[in-house]
Amino acid sequence: MKDKNFDKIRESAEEILESFAEISEGLPSQEETYYEQDTLSVLRSDGKPSSKKDLEEFRKNFLKNMPDRDEEGNLKVEVAEWAK
Amino acid sequence: MKIGFEIHEQLFTDQKLFCNCPTNYRDVPPNTNVCPVCTGMPGSKPSSPNEKAIDSAIEIALMLNCEIVVDKSIYIQRKHYDYPDLPNGYQRTSLPIAEDGELEDVGIREVHIEEDPGKYDPVQGKVDFNRSGIPLVEIVTDPDLSSPEQARDFLNTLIRTLEYSGRVRPEPSTLRADTNISLKGGNRVEVKNINSVKGAFRALKYEAMRQKRRKEVKRETRAFMEGQMITVPMRSKEVAEDYRNIPDPDILPIRIEGEKVEKIRAEMHEPPHLRRKRVIEKYDIDPAVADVLVTERGFVDLFEAVTDEVDPRFASHWFKDILRKVLNYKDMGPEDIPFSVDNLVELLKMVEREEITPEKGELILRKMVEDPKNPKKLLEELDLKAIDRGKLVSSVEKVIQENEEAVRDFRSGKKEALNFLAGQVMKVTEGKADPREAMNVLEERLDE
Amino acid sequence: MGEMNTLQKVEAIKSGELSTTENIEDKLETIEERDGEINAFIETNEDVLERAKEIDRKIERGEEVGKLAGLGIGIKSNINTKGLQATCASKTLEGYVSAYDAVVVERIREEDGIILGMNNMDEFACGSSGETSAFGPTKNPSAEDRIPGGSSSGGAAAVASGMCDLALGSDTGGSIRNPASHCGVVGLKPTYGLVPRQGLVDLSMSFDQIGPLSTDVSGAALLTEAIAGLNENESAMFDLESVNYLGEVEVALDGLKIGVSSKFRELTDPEIMDPIDEAVDYLRDQGAELVEVDLPNLEKAMPTFYLILSVEFFSATRKFDGRKYGRKIEEVCGEEVLRRIVRGKYISRKEFKGKYYQRALQIRTLIKKELTEALKKADVLVGPTVPKLPHELGEDISPGEMYAYDYLTVPANLGGLCAGVLPFGKVDGIPVGLQVQGPSLGEASVLNVMKALEKR
Repeated sequence: MKDKNFDKIRESAEEILESFAEISEGLPSQEETYYEQDTLSVLRSDGKPSSKKDLEEFRKNFLKNMPDRDEEGNLKVEVAEWAK
Repeated sequence: MKIGFEIHEQLFTDQKLFCNCPTNYRDVPPNTNVCPVCTGMPGSKPSSPNEKAIDSAIEIALMLNCEIVVDKSIYIQRKHYDYPDLPNGYQRTSLPIAEDGELEDVGIREVHIEEDPGKYDPVQGKVDFNRSGIPLVEIVTDPDLSSPEQARDFLNTLIRTLEYSGRVRPEPSTLRADTNISLKGGNRVEVKNINSVKGAFRALKYEAMRQKRRKEVKRETRAFMEGQMITVPMRSKEVAEDYRNIPDPDILPIRIEGEKVEKIRAEMHEPPHLRRKRVIEKYDIDPAVADVLVTERGFVDLFEAVTDEVDPRFASHWFKDILRKVLNYKDMGPEDIPFSVDNLVELLKMVEREEITPEKGELILRKMVEDPKNPKKLLEELDLKAIDRGKLVSSVEKVIQENEEAVRDFRSGKKEALNFLAGQVMKVTEGKADPREAMNVLEERLDE
Repeated sequence: MGEMNTLQKVEAIKSGELSTTENIEDKLETIEERDGEINAFIETNEDVLERAKEIDRKIERGEEVGKLAGLGIGIKSNINTKGLQATCASKTLEGYVSAYDAVVVERIREEDGIILGMNNMDEFACGSSGETSAFGPTKNPSAEDRIPGGSSSGGAAAVASGMCDLALGSDTGGSIRNPASHCGVVGLKPTYGLVPRQGLVDLSMSFDQIGPLSTDVSGAALLTEAIAGLNENESAMFDLESVNYLGEVEVALDGLKIGVSSKFRELTDPEIMDPIDEAVDYLRDQGAELVEVDLPNLEKAMPTFYLILSVEFFSATRKFDGRKYGRKIEEVCGEEVLRRIVRGKYISRKEFKGKYYQRALQIRTLIKKELTEALKKADVLVGPTVPKLPHELGEDISPGEMYAYDYLTVPANLGGLCAGVLPFGKVDGIPVGLQVQGPSLGEASVLNVMKALEKR
């Protein structure tokens, strides 16, 4: 990442924070809205897991998109710094 | 010294926490039990949380004497950090579902649920996401432990309590612990990457030693290296300081109702320390024996199942001295026992009534764990192989005839000679004689 | 194909009057003729003719076919479509072939819609102009040299130029409605939680919603019907199995309360207000009652929205680390995408949480209250979609000027409303879209008003 470009981007990123600070100044405190719906918690019963067929189909596509993998199907990534 | 823990154990469910993938991650090739959700594919969205996981965490929290957080919105947060085993770049972890508990005088600060990351091999640089998304319970203790030994004992008690709940995965070592330790007045050091009680003990012993040697202890996070039994600093890049937690916008907050908690409380298993107490009082057995009985819930369940028909004190000793030994030898747990409770009761009665000797009882038991038949039948089979009294007497007489010197030695007071002669009887009968019977007959004949 | 609307076209296909194969061949021809220039598609689907013939055969045999039978549909490149790339118009996901179908795509297939390909868009939906795609900008077929709008630029342009019958877009702060307005087509942002988001690459999880682009209101209604409804494997959805807009008897405009606000005029260029005023007058003449509503804090929605979006987008992009698929996002993305990531990373810091994120969520409550109040006084709100005419393609404008396009569309996302856009007149030859906003799950009213205006 070119440093000069990055600084420019960071500056422009923060512009809207100023306008936000301005507009929010006079406004009263409110409760925060985290979710659109007021629904009480929705839970899922533990049941029969996904079928072998569905799993196999996804696995094929998952493996295809991997940048690097081994024969067993593990995803290959970087070695940990502290383990070196 | 102040020691505390953050303990993670996998909960026992059929589906993962936020998707329908199977949870038997060890039984399948890498990256098989996976889907777009638990692999962090672009556009994937979590399902609603697994209800059984939440119920399990509530039950565990109740066993740890916690207050459950009821009638309040409990957010599932995104905890952001960069690590290869975290497919989304954040871990979904709930706010506490329970607080202010206690186990053996150690404060349980809080209990919550979170998803397991995948399995990352940092040395080979590979990741398997089969485990990713499995529900975990996290138990956070206060730093109330004051020595590595005490910490080790506490961990064992905690693990046993979790086992009793029946709500954690029964496979071995799904335990993961982070520990924190500070010496008097010093900074707190956190140690990660501990996967066993032994490991925790060694990590703490090493850390205590390391911290003692230093003039100033830096506040940091270290990793436990199991092979070398040391802790090493983790690079600050791997340890995020600010997780930038936000409530996960894709998952509505959980709300636990008081009714549900009471239902779980009414149906849950008794924790081990209460079970031990009750068993001692109810059956009037020795505390030391009770300690062995309660090591596994299945074991004490079996004990209580036989006490209707067999004297509890007798059964308790037999369980401790013989059944436990045989199971250990066969590397079996109480859940692996193939014979029925009735069979066991039958066998115990035979020994209790002195129909057979305790040694024979043990022999039958050893057979019964491999060949779960009625013990009377097994006795028959064993006795068929055993020799009859007539043959035994003639064998004894033969041995006496052929070992005059030993007989003279015995008669002149040398007790060991008797053992030698008994050994000879066993040799001659090819081990089929009952040792006690053989001894009796020998003594009889030698008396004449 | 004559003056049929989309619904009539489907009926003609189902009755055998129109051939699917002919329809799709026509679309493919148009794509070949015009897409080189317009650049509405990043990838086209190869097996479409096969699919088309299949459907014709089914119809010939008298078998039942779905409600989208025979229609050629474009899918925005941030929606997972098995076998095609969900690039999100970014180098980050270049080469990522969707490993699964988004639920909306599954439903389109079930209804026998034919997927023509993946539409161009602003990179990761971070834009309102259609200029930021890593695969080149999209042209506005209805206004030469002007931006098509964004972020569903390709979908709107494809529909406007006859390359497809319908397109699926996504709207977080106006990304369906904005390009619908600039390109002169119909667009709808359904109520958040009505349409499943499973398979849609996140921009801002609290606001993202998938919706239709069409040449007419019946098409928008049809596609929404096909994709809306509960998805069991998602948490934040309405417990609704299906919706029905086309079967509804049209409510007369008589007595319908149309909400208008002086705030709209304040924020909008006067030239745009002319066709809007005309529309409002027409509605009144048809018997609707005009109600003045108060929206004192409307313009505050935009900065509030962008703050929340930045936090959520930062979180959403942590998975693009280049390990499992594609490339690491910060290394290859465009400026605006990086800008939002940087901003999000900054304001989600522990010490700023209260000052920015939580404060923004408070103002969200305020704006929601205001809009809900307004929609108690009126059945729908009618006004402009964008505050200014689209600039020239390639013109250099600041990020602030770009965000300013969103002033009038963001409130519906922030406030949990539904909103549709209908082309209504032109200024200097450039299409102007009229926006109709309705309360949560008020799509029927919104579509009703749009239909009435469409008839004019």
